[in-house]
Amino acid sequence: MDPECSQLLPALCAVLADPRQPVADDTCLEKLLDWFKTITKAGSSLLLLQENPCLVELLCHVLKPQDLSSRVLSFSLRLAGVFAAQEDCFQYLQGELLPRLFGEPGPLGGAAWTAPSVRSGWIQGLRSLAQHPSALHFLADCGAVDTIFSLQGDSSLFVASAAGQLLVHILGLSMQGLAEGHPSLQAGDWPVCAQKIVGHIEESLHSTAVPQITQALNVLTTTFGHCHDPWTQVLWVRLSPLVGSLLEKDPVPAAHSLVDLLLSVARSPGLSSSSCGLWETLAQTLNHLSPTQAGPLALGILKLQDCPQVLRAQAFVILLQPLACVLKATGQDPGPSDVLDSATGDSLTVDALLSSKAACVGLLCRTLAHLELLQPLPQRPCPWPQEPLLGAAVTLLQLCRGSASPASDVGRHLCALLLGCVRVQRAALDFLGTLSQETGPQELVTEVFAVLLEYLRSPDSSPTVLKKAFQATFRWLLSSPKTPGCCDLEPHALLVLRELLPVLQKRLCSPCWEVRDSGLEFLTQMTRHWGGQAGFRHALLASEVPKLTEQLLRDPESYVRASAVTVMGQLSSQGLHVTPVSPEHPGGQQKSLLVELLHILSTDSEGFPRRAVMQVFTQWLRDHHADVAGDTEQFMARVLQVASQDLDWEVRAQGLELALVFLEQTLGQFHSHCPYAVTPPVAAPAGPLAQALQPLCRVRLFEFAFRALFDCDRPVAQKSCDLLLFLRAKTASSSGSLQESRSGPDVASVEAALQRWQAGDQGQPLGDLEPEVVLAVLRSVDLEGLRGALAEGSDHMEKSPQSLLQDMLATVGVLGENEADCY
Amino acid sequence: MPEIRVTPLGAGQDVGRSCILVSIAGKNVMLDCGMHMGFNDDRRFPDFSYITRNGRLTDFLDCVIISHFHLDHCGALPYFSEMVGYDGPIYMTHPTQAICPILLEDYRKIAVDKKGEANFFTSQMIKDCMKKVVAVHLHQTVQVDDELEIKAYYAGHVLGAAMFQIKVGSESVVYTGDYNMTPDRHLGAAWIDKCRPNLLITESTYATTIRDSKRCRERDFLKKVHEAVERGGKVLIPVFALGRAQELCILLETFWERMNLKAPIYFSTGLTEKANHYYKLFITWTNQKIRKTFVQRNMFEFKHIKAFDRAFADNPGPMVVFATPGMLHAGQSLQIFRKWAGNEKNMVIMPGYCVQGTVGHKILSGQRKLEMEGRQVLEVKMQVEYMSFSAHADAKGIMQLVGQAEPESVLLVHGEAKKMEFLKQKIEQEFRVNCYMPANGETVTLPTSPSIPVGISLGLLKREMAQGLLPDAKKPRLLHGTLIMKDSNFRLVSSEQALKELGLAEHQLRFTCRVHLHDPRKEQETAMRVYSHLKSVLKDHCVQHLPDGSVTVESILIQAAAHSEDPGTKVLLVSWTYQDEELGSYLTSLLKKGLPQASS
Repeated sequence: MDPECSQLLPALCAVLADPRQPVADDTCLEKLLDWFKTITKAGSSLLLLQENPCLVELLCHVLKPQDLSSRVLSFSLRLAGVFAAQEDCFQYLQGELLPRLFGEPGPLGGAAWTAPSVRSGWIQGLRSLAQHPSALHFLADCGAVDTIFSLQGDSSLFVASAAGQLLVHILGLSMQGLAEGHPSLQAGDWPVCAQKIVGHIEESLHSTAVPQITQALNVLTTTFGHCHDPWTQVLWVRLSPLVGSLLEKDPVPAAHSLVDLLLSVARSPGLSSSSCGLWETLAQTLNHLSPTQAGPLALGILKLQDCPQVLRAQAFVILLQPLACVLKATGQDPGPSDVLDSATGDSLTVDALLSSKAACVGLLCRTLAHLELLQPLPQRPCPWPQEPLLGAAVTLLQLCRGSASPASDVGRHLCALLLGCVRVQRAALDFLGTLSQETGPQELVTEVFAVLLEYLRSPDSSPTVLKKAFQATFRWLLSSPKTPGCCDLEPHALLVLRELLPVLQKRLCSPCWEVRDSGLEFLTQMTRHWGGQAGFRHALLASEVPKLTEQLLRDPESYVRASAVTVMGQLSSQGLHVTPVSPEHPGGQQKSLLVELLHILSTDSEGFPRRAVMQVFTQWLRDHHADVAGDTEQFMARVLQVASQDLDWEVRAQGLELALVFLEQTLGQFHSHCPYAVTPPVAAPAGPLAQALQPLCRVRLFEFAFRALFDCDRPVAQKSCDLLLFLRAKTASSSGSLQESRSGPDVASVEAALQRWQAGDQGQPLGDLEPEVVLAVLRSVDLEGLRGALAEGSDHMEKSPQSLLQDMLATVGVLGENEADCY
Repeated sequence: MPEIRVTPLGAGQDVGRSCILVSIAGKNVMLDCGMHMGFNDDRRFPDFSYITRNGRLTDFLDCVIISHFHLDHCGALPYFSEMVGYDGPIYMTHPTQAICPILLEDYRKIAVDKKGEANFFTSQMIKDCMKKVVAVHLHQTVQVDDELEIKAYYAGHVLGAAMFQIKVGSESVVYTGDYNMTPDRHLGAAWIDKCRPNLLITESTYATTIRDSKRCRERDFLKKVHEAVERGGKVLIPVFALGRAQELCILLETFWERMNLKAPIYFSTGLTEKANHYYKLFITWTNQKIRKTFVQRNMFEFKHIKAFDRAFADNPGPMVVFATPGMLHAGQSLQIFRKWAGNEKNMVIMPGYCVQGTVGHKILSGQRKLEMEGRQVLEVKMQVEYMSFSAHADAKGIMQLVGQAEPESVLLVHGEAKKMEFLKQKIEQEFRVNCYMPANGETVTLPTSPSIPVGISLGLLKREMAQGLLPDAKKPRLLHGTLIMKDSNFRLVSSEQALKELGLAEHQLRFTCRVHLHDPRKEQETAMRVYSHLKSVLKDHCVQHLPDGSVTVESILIQAAAHSEDPGTKVLLVSWTYQDEELGSYLTSLLKKGLPQASS
């Protein structure tokens, strides 16, 4: 601890111990504790306490009967735990203080215990101190374990959950010694603490109260999830019959926790291979649980790396059942796959599906989400029933729209339940998108596109559904089979595209900004992939879409304007931006877009469109876009001038990014991919250095960069610092070729300006800089030092422990009535 | 037993990050999804792991409702929807939907700018999150699904702030968010109808405060600004982009106009236009005066307040500057503060709360020497003032709202434990309702007795009408029929109709009872005596003596028989149908007392 903090600490402890002094801010104590954790991690806690006796005094003081705030009491318990984590410090505190803090005489028996924060502090304190064997004895002696048992059922979720975690930790700690030696197969030989906890778990599993069973199962799940020592196998062998007996109850109690436990055991390499009938239990559980409860278990089983094939097959059947029911109900053949065929007959699933709308929607959404997770995994079942799944997804989407007309009663019932259900629509569209990873027979793919178009056309589709429909459509267009050696859309996809563009056109005129934006995002994706392909280009140019997109540059919603800027930038890059050439504007249409984008950059009131413009410009410069390449210097000068004035620091930072691209292009190509890496240039600039720097000076890049060094927004300053360091490294090898005039008036005036900027003054523009001056200034500025300073967060001073202590002390006595008033 | 469960993940006995889970009739709703500005790590967000352990978030939660755009109510939303993975609907009012992304974007930029945080939500995430929002109008009943409906009420506080009623069947909860019961210069007062919810979840920031007059506070503020400007000083007012800043602008604008002051007032460029745009767009959400005068003069088009340019900070002479952010923790406001702090003529007015670790917090707690980067010490000589202009209901206002809504129970959030305790007692005493104040993570469970609607068949109603009794809404009425539960519907029909509908045959069920009478006479005579006795006692009933010797009263049949062992005793066999259960029981008890002696 540094001396300044050491000096402030006694006063702070006195404040904390004084019940008349409210603590300023609930975050302060948390941050104070963080600081103590850092100190004790780095050094001796005992030494800390000896050097700062005020800390022990504080801990003693909080035990005195007084009206101390529960927050301070909770903090003290946690603090004591942090110190006592080191065994020597534990011994130092153990005599009187720890039993009084954590035992019966402490807060445990007092009125303060009613505050959940105190109970939570008690648990967290114990969790911190339980790090060594002495702590275990202490826990046993002060009867803490029994209290922890009861806290598992605490009214506060946080306390109850922490109590469970603590039990897991204590069990692990007490078994640690045993694990290092010879793991005893006889649980009777286990340490007392462990026996007690295991006994409690057994008792809970025998109980008829579901909360108790849940607690026991959760403790076991965490234990097996975190610890794979041999003793856990012994524990599982001992407890598995009890866990298995839960399956005999109807309904199965705490099914959710039981599933978690069984999967945790199955994932543990030592446990799953032990011969205590885990696979049988899993199979049995799959059979006993309701379709809704069995889904997560089935998914978990299918995700396992090593698992008997029979069990996997059973799990897959369970997972597929709801969709098989849908297919059957709508009179469709589940296909040649055995898996779906065997999944169709389950009446339980049909009952679950038809019992109520909520149950039906819940089960279907869960099933779709599970299958969506499973699809991309390498261990997914093989063969994967792609066709029936596609069929099911399409059917569900049709049922939700009311466009399916099932003949069976069950089908009609399903149709009534699902009609207009947005939740199922969203889930089915997501799933359909995932299924595009593989294809299907042409008729089915046609059906997929048909249903997607139906959704995109429908006036009833909600904005979120439309967004997902756009995403799924894009994925399917991407996946449609391609002619080898050609990445253009295949004929069928082109047909789809021709139908799609009028729909997109309509959606770009939607009154909902969400829909217009999703439409533009979709167009961006398409242009990025097929912008260069003849088929796509032809279809797009024949439509009104480019024209509408251009109009959206003036959309009232800034998000939409930003997306329109991105699309227009891309269309223009691909030569897809066509406005009729008017006689007043000879020389092409591209100019007008550049002007329009510049106009947005300088006038748009929102940051998003301006940022989008900068991104487009940077890309144009990189791609040597015809318009930019025509007069790059003029383009750069105009853009940098506007960007440097922008109020949004991200626009300024992007301005520097643009400057960097220009710099790279001007000074030549380099090998290094990281422009910020300070390495000597591999290829020297083509001509003399001064000549190479001239264009940079002409576009006033340096004034922007030098000013940005002291920008009030740190990322801008950082970016500028990196840019100038890069430039300095590039020019280092050529320094001899220049006549630097370090003492010349220009250098001095630039340096003076830099100092003014650093002080926060704005000052006048620098005017035209000469390359020699720039290079001289570049060498005189301590860029490395600046970079070091910028690397720290701008709040590092305020975040320091000393600042925290000062703040806490300063708040004493000045707290008004309104301190809780957040805004 | 049906119940409503409420678990605050944030705002339970604290004012940090509001996030309250409500379970009502099997539906799960999250009320607000706020962040704590005082933390820089994961602790700034509510601990969502307590929800994710219930399975997939989108399956568990039916919807998220955001009460207003302040970050302690919506700051965790992009994190929750785009990083934790909630994909369901989010409801908020139209102004909140419009303004929320601006504040989120501001915060994101400060987090990335100031602390260089990489693992933070991006602009794209904010946009994607906002696309999941369903915007609602005031007093519009919105069906989240077939059963769950929500409705927004005006809450004052900031533009677009709303209280929400959440209703499933006959059960309902009202969540106030932050609200203000007194109108101010640009917003109206919160209002709710007498909706009598099962539970009212109310904020309690000023649980123990009766706030001093707003006029006094405003006068004080204007006086201080005026004095500083008069002595040639510069006044800095750090504010958040949108919210209370507009209230202060109106205040200064009016004062400048009245006093004919010339010192310039500036507002961070871009923000005035932005604010103006939103206030114009959502003019219906402002107070009556602003709405009325809007046609002649838009109150938000200020004559004296101009856009600020960075270079202006160095201009000589007095000026007033509104700059963001509000806690002096980054950006423009901090930059101006550094420039002006050394001059005692200048003044900074903090119009809201500042979290620890910000320069705003330091100067408010009286620190005058601030260590800056590179061991530089900034001496604060300028005057530092704190003037709260936040718009929360005070104790009186909270009580007023409870009185307005007439809830069955009240639950306090968004306040400090000690103050809540006081208010809780007050509410319990005055309104005789239970009041709860759970800490974060604590669950309050309220049993409810939902009323279940039952449809009555026309036939049954007509039969009742035929008896001459006209229905009266105020008088409960006993009606006999058969309850049919089918397709989650309840219907009361006549038993005949039920039999017909269900295709069942009718079975007569009779209750029987034996009564022993000491009577040596013959069975017929005993029966006769019974007849005479009942005839005299049951004057309103039809008592008959049948030819076979048995006696009937309505459906009740009484037969006398000889006792097999005791000739001096007769056994009366009494039987009746369930319709006459009451009469049957009465009759047997009457017979058990024996027959009157007089007739013997």
